[in-house]
Amino acid sequence: MRNVLIVLWLLAIGATALADDAPAKVNTPEACGVCHGIDGNSPAGAFPNLSGQNARYLYLQLKDFKEGRRNDPLMSPIAKQLEKKEMQALAKHFSEQKPKPVSFKADNARAAAGKKIADDALCPMCHLGGFVGQNEIPKVAGQHPEYVRKQLTDFRARNRTNDAGNMTAYSSNLSDDDIENLVHYIGTLD
Amino acid sequence: MKFIESKLALGLATSLLISSAAFAAEEIQGGAVIAAKPMSSSLVPVTQAMLSASEGDGKHWLHSNGNYAQTRYYPASQIHTGNVGKLKPAFVFQTAVLESMETAPLVVNGVMFLTTSYNHIYAIDAVTGEEFWHYKHKMGAVTTFCCGPNNRGVAALDGKLFMGTLDAKLVALDAKSGKVLWETEIADPELGYSETMAPAAVDGKVLIGTNGGEYGIRGFVKAYDANDGKLLWTFHTIPEKGHEGIWNPNDATNRDMKRDIAAEKAALAKNGGDFYKTLGGGVWMTPAVDTDSKTAFFVVGNPSPDLYGAERPGDNLYTDSIVAVDLNTGAYKWHYQYVAHDVWDLDAVSPPILTDAAGKDGKMRKVVIHGGKTGHIYVHDRVTGELIRFSDAMVPQDGLWTLPTKEGARMNLGANGGVEWSPMAVNPKTRMAYAANLIQPMTYHVEAAAYPGGKLWLGGAFKTIPGVAQTGRISAVNMDTGKIAWEVNTPQPLMGGLLATAGGLVFNRECKGWFKSFYAKNGKELWKFNCGAGANAPAVSYTVNGKQYIAVAAGGNTQLDFKRGNSVFVFALP
Repeated sequence: MRNVLIVLWLLAIGATALADDAPAKVNTPEACGVCHGIDGNSPAGAFPNLSGQNARYLYLQLKDFKEGRRNDPLMSPIAKQLEKKEMQALAKHFSEQKPKPVSFKADNARAAAGKKIADDALCPMCHLGGFVGQNEIPKVAGQHPEYVRKQLTDFRARNRTNDAGNMTAYSSNLSDDDIENLVHYIGTLD
Repeated sequence: MKFIESKLALGLATSLLISSAAFAAEEIQGGAVIAAKPMSSSLVPVTQAMLSASEGDGKHWLHSNGNYAQTRYYPASQIHTGNVGKLKPAFVFQTAVLESMETAPLVVNGVMFLTTSYNHIYAIDAVTGEEFWHYKHKMGAVTTFCCGPNNRGVAALDGKLFMGTLDAKLVALDAKSGKVLWETEIADPELGYSETMAPAAVDGKVLIGTNGGEYGIRGFVKAYDANDGKLLWTFHTIPEKGHEGIWNPNDATNRDMKRDIAAEKAALAKNGGDFYKTLGGGVWMTPAVDTDSKTAFFVVGNPSPDLYGAERPGDNLYTDSIVAVDLNTGAYKWHYQYVAHDVWDLDAVSPPILTDAAGKDGKMRKVVIHGGKTGHIYVHDRVTGELIRFSDAMVPQDGLWTLPTKEGARMNLGANGGVEWSPMAVNPKTRMAYAANLIQPMTYHVEAAAYPGGKLWLGGAFKTIPGVAQTGRISAVNMDTGKIAWEVNTPQPLMGGLLATAGGLVFNRECKGWFKSFYAKNGKELWKFNCGAGANAPAVSYTVNGKQYIAVAAGGNTQLDFKRGNSVFVFALP
């Protein structure tokens, strides 16, 4: 499915380029919005919601994609084309968008077990209560469950390592079941 | 899948229709904006003479920790052990910021200056709670801080107030009007520098350190000219050369820290010592000042990254140390390191206190003391730094210096302490120092991690242990012997600090809102009041028109996720 989405994105960017008679621009909310939604509410769980996300987090992730600390076949080449000011402007734009609820039916027992895991692991120490995030620490409340699951799995497998050892360590002891419980708990948060 | 793709197409169509101009943001505005009441005519400029005389001043509260010695001992005794049971709220001041409060308000002739998260300052009538002005710092685009948007208060001198900000600026305001007089950038917030501490103002200078031990900063204390914000001197807490120290295998209590010093030496020889640029060592609580010897004393936080030590061989001087420098020049005088090559985030952070205590020979000496995350109170000779004694352990230390592992290794001393940033108080009559402790057994996990470009850099994780209670403890320690005189256990960990008064009282606050007073001699509880939100800020006391007041902020705590509030509670006798 992801390949289909990439093709769609390239088509969209290409269409914009033709219309403008200029090289494809990746530094606009419209370009990002193809996958993430121009209002930052992504229509697909493969792409994270950016609406209401902390600007500092968004900027630093773009910077990490650009400088190779985080890798993604789609995001890395885009970020490489962005200047600092553009990254900051995009981060500001998406941080100011209003989040829309994600449709997810959390299982109560799983959510309760997930809350306990989160509290024991001191998740709120960085992500704050309710997973609302601060600064560079992302807001996870309101995120697509599919994306949350993938990030925890990627941290655990060390496929994502731009966290300076924090999340890789926190996720290292999590079983698949633990991750599922956390996904359900976070799914109860707005 | 089809459903998802059709939603994507819809999103694409929507995106082309919406103009980016629709997304305007409201910004916090700088400047004093609300003048609810003309400033009190009794407000006077705080002079150097007033600041220097604070230890015997039973009227004002002019330093975040009471005086330059930081004793948090208020010398008035109208409220005492016999009548504290009648203490009632005089007023409650509600700020407009519902977030963690760690402020220690200043009170000058009946005018209170208090701060909130996100760098607001309020000037209010300290008798009625009426507001004179409200300043909101215009925050820069970049703020980097790990543990909540806190602020712990302002410093005052010559009609000015000084505040450090989350975007790493030092701001000077006119105390009467709240108007900005000057503003200067202390360091680049993009690299992880930020300010939450109350500065110290002395001899025309403003002293301030920095947060950032979790971000790979290079720590410092800087002195600025109080008149114009010009930088006068910088003391780097991480020296460019010699940060490997003496390869100390033991901590300050002579316990083996299980370091592999041969491997560290080999790593230093191979890779060099350039990592001093990102070795951490924040100074995030207010320095004490000895105005006679012109010496500033401060404690230095943990090395970066917190848990992954292979990146930074050596003792990592002057992290986890107490340091004395010349007040006029910033020149090094002495240091004493408590934990060399820390891999547990055991900062030295609770502000140092200047007082007297018996030397090993029983004769009284001028000392400087520090309450550690390690759970010990350390007593040093003030001139040489010699460690005269360390107290009995105030908290459990089972498994002390168990090295972090990938899977996680348990140590009953948690990464928040012992004593965290909470200021201690001392009572020279009882000879006791009073400390607020956390008891949080944890597992420590290590992960190799290169410098992540100004982002949080723990190099691992610390987690609490499922099913094991996290609690707190007030400990009263005899400074002349190091023995624990009394202790009171609390149901939750303590963060916020203490106040002692000449009325024979100790005031402590708890995270579920309780504000309590104890008999300083034996810890007997004498009075309590519930503030309705986490009381996680150190209390202060002051006297106006012959009436003594006790004030404490209840805004909860971000780091431990205690219930947020927005108020300062002020108490007096009926």
